[in-house]
Amino acid sequence: MTTVAIVGALSGCSAGGSSAGGSTATLWALTGDQTGVVEPAVTAWNKANPKEQINAQYFANDAYKTKIRTSVGAGSAPTIIYSWAGGTLDSYVKAGKVADLTSETASIKSKYNSSVFDLGVVDGKTYAVPMDPSYPVLLYFNKSVLAKAGVSAPTTWDELLAAIPKLKSAGVLPFALAGGSKWPELMWEEYLVDRVAGPDAIKAIAAGKKNAWSDPGIIKANTMLQQLVSAGAFGSDYNSVVADSNADAALLYTGKAAMLLQGAWAYSTFQTSAADFTKSSLGYSNFPSVSGGKGDPANIVGNVSGYFSVSANASAAQKKTAIAYLTQGTFNDAYTKRLLDGGQVPPIKGVSSQISGGSDSFVGKTASLIDSAPNFQMSWDQALPSAEATALLTNLDQLFTKSITPTQFSDAMNKTIGQ
Amino acid sequence: MSTLSDARTTPATRPEPAKSRRIKGHKTRNFIGAFGGYVWLAVIILPIYYIVITSLRPQDGFYSSNQLVPPSAPTLSQYALVLQSDFFLYLANSAIVTVVSVAVTVAVSLGAAYAVVRSQTRFTKLGFSIFLVGLAVPLQATIIPLFYMMSKVGLYDSLMALILPSIGFAIPLTVLVLSNFLRDLPNELFESMRVDGASNWRILISLVTPLSRPALITVIIYDALTVWNGFLFPLVLTQSPDKRTLPLSLWTFQGQFSVNVPATLAAVVLSTLPIFALYLVGRRQLVAGITAGFGK
Amino acid sequence: MSSSTIKSGGVRKRPTGVGAPSGWYMAPALGIFALFALVPLVVALWLSFTTWDAISSPVFVGGANWATVLADRGTWHALGLTLEVVALSWLVQTPISLLLGVFVAGTQKYRALLAAIYFLPLILSSAAIGLAFKAILDPNFGLGASVGVSWLKQNWLGSPSLILPVVVFIIAWQFVPLHTLLYQGGVRQIPASLYEAAQIDGASRVQQFFSITLPQLRYTLITSSTLMITGSLTYFDVVFVLTGGVPSSAINILPIDMYVTGFSAAQFGTASVLAIILAVIGLAISLVLTKFSGFNRMSSQQEGA
Repeated sequence: MTTVAIVGALSGCSAGGSSAGGSTATLWALTGDQTGVVEPAVTAWNKANPKEQINAQYFANDAYKTKIRTSVGAGSAPTIIYSWAGGTLDSYVKAGKVADLTSETASIKSKYNSSVFDLGVVDGKTYAVPMDPSYPVLLYFNKSVLAKAGVSAPTTWDELLAAIPKLKSAGVLPFALAGGSKWPELMWEEYLVDRVAGPDAIKAIAAGKKNAWSDPGIIKANTMLQQLVSAGAFGSDYNSVVADSNADAALLYTGKAAMLLQGAWAYSTFQTSAADFTKSSLGYSNFPSVSGGKGDPANIVGNVSGYFSVSANASAAQKKTAIAYLTQGTFNDAYTKRLLDGGQVPPIKGVSSQISGGSDSFVGKTASLIDSAPNFQMSWDQALPSAEATALLTNLDQLFTKSITPTQFSDAMNKTIGQ
Repeated sequence: MSTLSDARTTPATRPEPAKSRRIKGHKTRNFIGAFGGYVWLAVIILPIYYIVITSLRPQDGFYSSNQLVPPSAPTLSQYALVLQSDFFLYLANSAIVTVVSVAVTVAVSLGAAYAVVRSQTRFTKLGFSIFLVGLAVPLQATIIPLFYMMSKVGLYDSLMALILPSIGFAIPLTVLVLSNFLRDLPNELFESMRVDGASNWRILISLVTPLSRPALITVIIYDALTVWNGFLFPLVLTQSPDKRTLPLSLWTFQGQFSVNVPATLAAVVLSTLPIFALYLVGRRQLVAGITAGFGK
Repeated sequence: MSSSTIKSGGVRKRPTGVGAPSGWYMAPALGIFALFALVPLVVALWLSFTTWDAISSPVFVGGANWATVLADRGTWHALGLTLEVVALSWLVQTPISLLLGVFVAGTQKYRALLAAIYFLPLILSSAAIGLAFKAILDPNFGLGASVGVSWLKQNWLGSPSLILPVVVFIIAWQFVPLHTLLYQGGVRQIPASLYEAAQIDGASRVQQFFSITLPQLRYTLITSSTLMITGSLTYFDVVFVLTGGVPSSAINILPIDMYVTGFSAAQFGTASVLAIILAVIGLAISLVLTKFSGFNRMSSQQEGA
């Protein structure tokens, strides 16, 4: 039978994911980081190290989370694994899927802000090293839209609430929100809980304290969140907007929306998609303060950094290449300069002195936000184990659509602690 | 319209040709039917029109234009963009998976159908019942164990990981359709070959296969359509861009092209073209075959 | 399944030992099918008693997952939604397909062209259909926003009350062609003499439809319904693409719930419980329908008898 022959031939050409030849290391990263961070660094590295090549592939954020888990589990992980540290890294370490890099990275440890480097440390051993800029979540606004509506950028919660009806009557959406992707909703939750309940609330949750979600501050913050939705802050269509396609950023720069709460990575989207808008009418600030809240108004939330680990399944030659890249190919002078030029803040010591244009530029302002923040909270969906993170996004979605009350939200989330 | 039954040599009741009805067709017009028919036509055409029109738009000013009006300056630049984004690689992957899956499915199913119809042992009856039950196994229910199995045997992220389960899930319906068809072949044909001393293998190759051509074309088109358009298997069982099939590439293009809707829709059009060509060639066969195959 | 007898055209002599092909002719098909469609169900059953995160190896935990899943409101919500989608899809698609099938079965010239267009959605992949409708329905950048008809600018895919009808519509758009085909075939099998007799009796078109066409199509109806119902249990692709892989609770049908529980939350044990539930429902429905449909009768159907 000829078909049998074909099948035989086919199974011959099914190569596993990471079985690239010799010392070439494979690397997976996010499309969001592709342009400004990883791709230029990998290109420069490959030019300088013809014997230790890196083969990089990029995935959209939402798809990546699933992809990397399945491939790590299937033993076909890339040599260099991108993660956000937190709960995911813990599970990799527990399963012995990532290599211990403690001795190899000892020499570069002092380069980083210690709080950033320590996120890659599990049980006293280093398994992941920082590779991304710090991305705090900022409130972006379209100055010309605000001006037309006669509204100034809100610095307190009350001002924010007061701006909503004015913007609505001016015929614009007060806040763009990519509810279709769910995680942008989490940014509102993170900031409100920080401002109202203080950073200790989420720390208790991450530590697995029983009934930590029932903190009265969290319930109050969620009540405020529902009031915000009811006031029409996000319009009625926010659940159809998806962040992976940057539709929320598009709403802001096309003038359909006045403000947007998004990570600092959105800045490069603005620069590439709407250069004129970025120059003339883009504004940004920290999240407004909430009077009477426990959290310091200077606190920030977001991605402290992204991390690279080395797969335990990789060959010795591939590991060698990967470690060389992680220690020499990331955050060297050129790498740092490239990030700064692209408006991003590297999580390394003494970076403020290298910023040209001082605190007026986007990067200068972001750097000073990071420097002056008493607490920089890692995004919850990355800090928590994935089962809890998934439940969080599901319940948050229901909180936004008001299918559940803040109390029901807390009850549902308490069940996920220590699962 | 040639229906499958024309190609058959059915001895028993053949419906009379609908001539007599055509004559009355002129007398009473079916206005309600026609109206409903045209409404649904609009429902079908509008989205397709939108897809094609939009894929010809430039990205600039896309959001500010009225999207129902054809673009003033149609451009093929979006198509160029898609074709440059490894489109042919994904096309090749889809083609390999589809051709191999369908070839194996049809070959083994024809053998099975032959056994179902021509031998009445307890084993073949049981087998046929298993295939019938298999029609109802939801593909989604097997995706997690398949992922586990493929990982265990090292086939994860290979085209083989897509081909094997695709064959498995195409077999029941293919056997059913082919059995239905073979059952209507006159017994005398088999008997005369048998008298000539032909082996079962000879009968299968030189009698059953040529006679089953209409039914084979039907199942080939139907199975090809199903495998070609499969999304969940590639989504879960592969990950490398070089193993990506077309439906999955649409999903990733969406992330890649961001808010460039015209490019995404150009990818949609391009991914449909190969199967559209097949459809143009084999539409009648497909139509006739599906209606006949699903047990009238 | 009952054992069945073959009738084929005439009376068949029991094939002699020389003549009957051996069961081996069936073995390859049965083997592949069993290995990749049936064995996974067994594996799923085993996984449902383990906890597995796809990173470490599965660990046996007994019935803990089952207890969790059956006690979870979300499961019942997903189950209810799934059945809702099944029922709504059937209610929407059956009348449309039936009427279109009768209409297209006519013989006017232009109907051939209509039929060619009607069947176009058959060839589009779910991923393509999902993406296209996602673009069309985008409230900010889609069709509604650009045409300026405010009624069209709805939160189609985000609002919990709208997404279900939208999904049912899109699924109908995709699958009505297939069922139209089935009905068209069914109508063509109805002997014209029946209609002629009715016309002589002076029956109107509508009366003819109800007294002849519908009863004659009963087997087609059952076949089509079987395919529709077992198919609609698993409308995964369209929903997944439409909702960008992060489905909201409003459209969290069972297969989606299973995927998210497994591949997003990494609770593959729990997800396997949902897979088993899905499989059991599918098998149960089809067994019930098979009882009615005579799908398992190994004789060729003789309509109009």
